[in-house]
Amino acid sequence: MEVAANTHSIRPSQQHRFRPAVVSGCIRELVREQLSGETYDSERSADLAQTLSAHITARLKELGLDRYKLIVQVVIGEQRGEGVQMASRCFWDADTDSCAKDVYMNDSLFCVAAVFGVYYY
Amino acid sequence: SVLDKLTESELFTVAVEGAIGGNAYQHSRVNQWTNNVVEQCLSQLSKLGKPFKYIVTCIIMQKNGAGLQTACSCFWDNTTDGSCTVRWENKSMYCIVSVFGLAI
Repeated sequence: MEVAANTHSIRPSQQHRFRPAVVSGCIRELVREQLSGETYDSERSADLAQTLSAHITARLKELGLDRYKLIVQVVIGEQRGEGVQMASRCFWDADTDSCAKDVYMNDSLFCVAAVFGVYYY
Repeated sequence: SVLDKLTESELFTVAVEGAIGGNAYQHSRVNQWTNNVVEQCLSQLSKLGKPFKYIVTCIIMQKNGAGLQTACSCFWDNTTDGSCTVRWENKSMYCIVSVFGLAI
């Protein structure tokens, strides 16, 4: 008689867990690489935001978060002394899901990159 | 998808209007406003009782001529998951609400 073990996990193991510190370190590097020395330009910034979010997603796929669905949101704004506030709230499983963020500022622009990782059971 | 139907029903525009409509930008209150907006949106979504996980983000920006760009990249299942973005403004501020719904 064959005995089979269940291998489908509905909880991530420690290595495959979404670790905010690791992910935010990764986004920090990428954002600084792409944006240092850049100035805010309304035409270019739209493309910049899109390519940055695509790069972040590609880099995160290499981190081994196999069972996670990822959402990367990048906001790039011009520094003109205006007030900006960004908030987010999530309805998920706090055990498995998490988010990471990074804020970058230089003289002419600011950039917020937020990554949400949601476990797929 | 679920979220497309919601855009049509203006669920989120109503939530934003209820939370900050009729107010002028005030630095001291904007923190509370963003929290109210996301809470309202999330509570409306959870009342739907669908088997989805939701992420709601809200950006409130004062109008002073500065530019803002947002972009999203998502790694999910296109057939079941979706997103919706609502832009709202009044004379003194912009509000951008993004909602992501992921099927379980």
